[in-house]
Amino acid sequence: MRFSVDTGGTFTDLIVEGDDGALRMFKAATNPANPILGVIEALKVAADGYGLPLADLLARGEMFIYGTTHAINAIITGNTARTAFLTSQGHPDILVLREGGRVEPFNFQAPFPDPYVPRALTFEIPGRLMVDGSERTPFDDDAAIAVIDEMKARGVAAVAVCLIWSIVNADHEKRMAALLDEHMPGVPYTLSHVLNPTLREYRRASSTCIDASLKPMMQAYMRDLTHTLAEAGFGGRVLVVTSQGGVMDAAEVANSPIHLINSGPSMAPVSGRYFSNIDEDCDTAIIADTGGTTYDVSLVRRNRIPWTRETWIGQPYRGHMTGFPSVDVKSIGAGGGSIAWVDEGGMLHVGPKSAGAVPGPVCYGQGGELPTVTDASLALGYIDPAFFLGGTKTLDLAAARAAIETKLAKPLGLSIEEAAAAVIRIATENMVQAIIDITVNQGIDPRDTVLVGGGGAAGLNSVLIARRLESRRLLIPEVGAALSAAGAMMSDLTSTFHKTLFTRTSGFDFAGVNGALTELRTRCDDFVARYGTGVDSHTIRFSAEARYPEQVWEIEIPLPVERFASAAELRALEDVFHKAHDDIFAISDPGSPIEIVGWTASVACRLRGDQGGSLALSDPGKMDAAVRMAYFPGHGSLTTAVHRFEAMKPGEQVAGPAIIESSFTTVVVNPGAVAERRPSGSLSIDPGRD
Amino acid sequence: MAQTQSRPATDGVRLALLNNRFEGIARKMANTLLRTGRSGVLNIARDFSCAIVTRGDELLAAAESLPIHVLSGPDLMCRAMKEFHPTLRRGDAFLHNSPYHGCSHAADHTILVPVIDADGVHHYTVVAKAHQADCGNSQPTTYMGSARNVYEEGALIFPAVKVQDNYKNVDDIIRMCRMRIRVPDQWWGDFLAMVGAARIAERELFALADELGWNALHDYDTQYLDYSEQRMAAAIRRAAPATTTVTHSSTHDAFPGTPADGVTITAKVTVLPDDAVIEVDLRDNPDCLPCGLNLSESCARTSAMVGIFNSIDHSVPKNAGAFRRLRILLREGCIVGIPLHPTSCSVATTNIADRVANSVQAAMAELADGIGLAECGAVIPPAAGVISGIDPKSRKPFVNQVFLGFSGGAGAPSTDAWQTIAHVGNAGLCFQDSVELDEIRQPIYVHERRFLKDTEGAGRHRGAHSIFVSFGPVGCDIDIGYVSDGGERPARRAWRRNRRAGQPVPAAPRWQHRAAGRLRAGAAGRRRAHPVLFLRRRLWPAC
Repeated sequence: MRFSVDTGGTFTDLIVEGDDGALRMFKAATNPANPILGVIEALKVAADGYGLPLADLLARGEMFIYGTTHAINAIITGNTARTAFLTSQGHPDILVLREGGRVEPFNFQAPFPDPYVPRALTFEIPGRLMVDGSERTPFDDDAAIAVIDEMKARGVAAVAVCLIWSIVNADHEKRMAALLDEHMPGVPYTLSHVLNPTLREYRRASSTCIDASLKPMMQAYMRDLTHTLAEAGFGGRVLVVTSQGGVMDAAEVANSPIHLINSGPSMAPVSGRYFSNIDEDCDTAIIADTGGTTYDVSLVRRNRIPWTRETWIGQPYRGHMTGFPSVDVKSIGAGGGSIAWVDEGGMLHVGPKSAGAVPGPVCYGQGGELPTVTDASLALGYIDPAFFLGGTKTLDLAAARAAIETKLAKPLGLSIEEAAAAVIRIATENMVQAIIDITVNQGIDPRDTVLVGGGGAAGLNSVLIARRLESRRLLIPEVGAALSAAGAMMSDLTSTFHKTLFTRTSGFDFAGVNGALTELRTRCDDFVARYGTGVDSHTIRFSAEARYPEQVWEIEIPLPVERFASAAELRALEDVFHKAHDDIFAISDPGSPIEIVGWTASVACRLRGDQGGSLALSDPGKMDAAVRMAYFPGHGSLTTAVHRFEAMKPGEQVAGPAIIESSFTTVVVNPGAVAERRPSGSLSIDPGRD
Repeated sequence: MAQTQSRPATDGVRLALLNNRFEGIARKMANTLLRTGRSGVLNIARDFSCAIVTRGDELLAAAESLPIHVLSGPDLMCRAMKEFHPTLRRGDAFLHNSPYHGCSHAADHTILVPVIDADGVHHYTVVAKAHQADCGNSQPTTYMGSARNVYEEGALIFPAVKVQDNYKNVDDIIRMCRMRIRVPDQWWGDFLAMVGAARIAERELFALADELGWNALHDYDTQYLDYSEQRMAAAIRRAAPATTTVTHSSTHDAFPGTPADGVTITAKVTVLPDDAVIEVDLRDNPDCLPCGLNLSESCARTSAMVGIFNSIDHSVPKNAGAFRRLRILLREGCIVGIPLHPTSCSVATTNIADRVANSVQAAMAELADGIGLAECGAVIPPAAGVISGIDPKSRKPFVNQVFLGFSGGAGAPSTDAWQTIAHVGNAGLCFQDSVELDEIRQPIYVHERRFLKDTEGAGRHRGAHSIFVSFGPVGCDIDIGYVSDGGERPARRAWRRNRRAGQPVPAAPRWQHRAAGRLRAGAAGRRRAHPVLFLRRRLWPAC
């Protein structure tokens, strides 16, 4: 038996895989003060569901997989360790300058961001290496020791070391580490060449500082998690979800906690890949996870999940770039809580402001006065006021209608229903634009993809999104409301190793590259030997970060060979690049050589031999009404059939207009669309046309 | 205020939908161009813009771009294209960089693609413009500050010249460019990126028309420009209670070709809330000078607009509708007006343009509390200069603009400065180079770069700190081209009665040439200004 848990802001989602391979989903409220207690609560709900005492349930578990927002929350709330940043002499402002850039060029109200580590805790270390690894200025032990004394006096609890060109010659960083070991024992530190050996000092420094600042608390947190689970009776392996869409052992991740920044959302595409494969036999998918305040979009392209180093904590250019590889997830402020408003020129807007959980939408009756997407869905009849979240909350329909009437319908000169439909339409368009932004950057044509809708509110407008994108198919997995936890259950034990080595295909450094690839291979093999006990199988993939000469942004391409011996193999590499560039940007320059700045090996150990575990079909709940009135633009109010998600049989079809409900979600099937239940439990919807 | 009360607009829902779609198309162009361009100035400085212009040559939508690039210019260039090519055909593309016909300056190569339906009807023009690493000037720089006229600049000038016919390149033009432009492969890469971006927009507009019909799109054009005008009018009425005029001057440092005491630029700004109009009169300014500092018409109009839009509600759409509420008064043959051929406008996008924008926004700050902006710092310091030389390893020439460090932000009515604004026309969109990336791209070594303490000035809101950069070549000589301003007259604060609306930025760039061969590009701070400015220095290796 295996457990996977995703702790979100509101709910802690749990998926249990029984020994028969069947999955079951449970939810409990998140305990923000002590998330680990929330985990135990969710496990208790599951124990009740299986009719077992908690200790017995846990004793049957082999594996516990955990996705957590604890690390990112600590950063956002400023609860990380007092961290010092050690930088090369002459370059104290790497974290202040970042990489420049700004959004909204005419907006002079947004303040300039503070650096992740303040100047007062930034120390310059003498010694400078050159691009070829040669030493221009030697390391200075005395100066470094003086800095250590100063750090001790200032109560520094974690140290980040990032020196220029440490990626080609690590001697100075290693010497600094030796001095820290000697003079500041017990204080955790992170070395940039170990953590994230990538070109560009800001990205490396940023990831190094973030990692160091998380070490004290995340080491304690991982110990606490492992200990609490053991006390409750769990004797299996504890794994944690990483930003890269894999899992790592809890003890290991505690030593490089930056892996946890995107723990959770990174799993949505892992789920999406699984379902688009088994339900639609499609290897390219767009995964859209709708929450209360954010809409997260990620991709699967030819069964690979694109990653990026340009992950921001906070808004782009107004926050901190992690500089660390992460699944590429684009997040916009759009969700059930997004507020709709009409500006002084008479144009309707939806978001980016959200009513959040407090006061929440008008219909929650908690003091919210501004109409939201949820209020509009209620006014249109899509949500049943008596059966929201399985009937746990009753909604105030009259209040929602009144707010829509005064704030939207009157200024727009529309009826309440028309105004509510317009809110859904604009929210849909905002979400579509977010999807277009990420797909254009990855060169994916949405028409060739399956759209996978996750999150509790996905079903409200996903048919409309799929129509706009001309997606082949819309998929709402039965576990869609816990997409990340479900993804964790299917993920691999992964690690990625990187080597910086600059070369061009004109004048290719065969010996250097082959040496680097051999080293990467060895590190992967070591990883398998060390952590791969009991895994089913493993794969190692090599890739390069490459670009045309003078370009400054690299793209990742798979290597055609593991070792380069001939001009033909080099041409094959160039061809892969030209093709990838053409795929992504619609242009290529086949006559040009290419530059490679870094080499990567990713190892993935399969934890789950049988990919095709089926989902246990849960018991259908009671049906309140078989029909209700719902409004569809162009059709007006229609008598609309209401179906229970769980009650639909595999292969059963439902044609729109219809609403398909479960305790976790509501799926609107617009007129013209047809939904069919898949054997996996998913709803597969042909978006059709009006 | 009663006049600004909203009233039911034409169709607030369709407006929102199509606005989203058009902005999405412009953004898709920009994303494509940014990620495929080759030269650093394009993909690091983001010195490019993408816009959609109506069939009536009105700016409709632009991706987030450098302000100096896009407000006025696309309209003028589209007009020139139609004048020179009365019969436009599907598959045409035009190369335009003529400052005498609507382009900002010769280094800004622009691709114009008329969007033409199957019946041959012209519906929109899409515009992709990008600053080139080199444009074939007589010196290896795109900022020919000391050129006395366009002949001394040396760049090839393309007044809307056809470069694609039926979607195929006109190879004659491509060959001419390859023969004249240094690093021709880099230029070719950027050319491909621009054409790619324009064609993507063309395709998207065809798809949108298939979905909604051209008539619906043109209804939207009208509605959206009217809507934008109404938003602008409301913002102007809020900005000042009564008709007020303020005159503000800003002086560019002396430079070869200018008078010994520099060039003083004066903007007379009048806000007329009753008419909901802002007028900027730039006619009372010196005539064009025998140097590259003169503004093109595009830059003269745009720089005045930048000063206005920096000063008011930032959510007002920047398009031809809003521009209807602006009166920018220019004079032919004026340094900040309409230049006549062969006047050189080589550095039209930065130095004097900044003095215009700074004057306008500082004047706005004097008009009323809560609007306007202090002056931003000046450009172009050596730390953001164009460097060139022969790579000692490959023996091949290189030319590139580096962005090693700049600050320059101005204090604002409600916040401290955005530190890395670069200059007012860039608005901080420019990226700062990674030291490692620059050292790998070309044979240079960056010794130091740091913000300087106590350089931000006092006041209600602070200006940016000055930044200090020290760098030099490794194993070779390099040339560095720059057009520095602000050494003698750093940016000034803006005042409102006795209150400081924002503080100045003494981030004026300066350089010192050291015997060791490093160039130190620092800030003037409050020290006495360095008396001489050079266009170009040769640097020798320090070791």
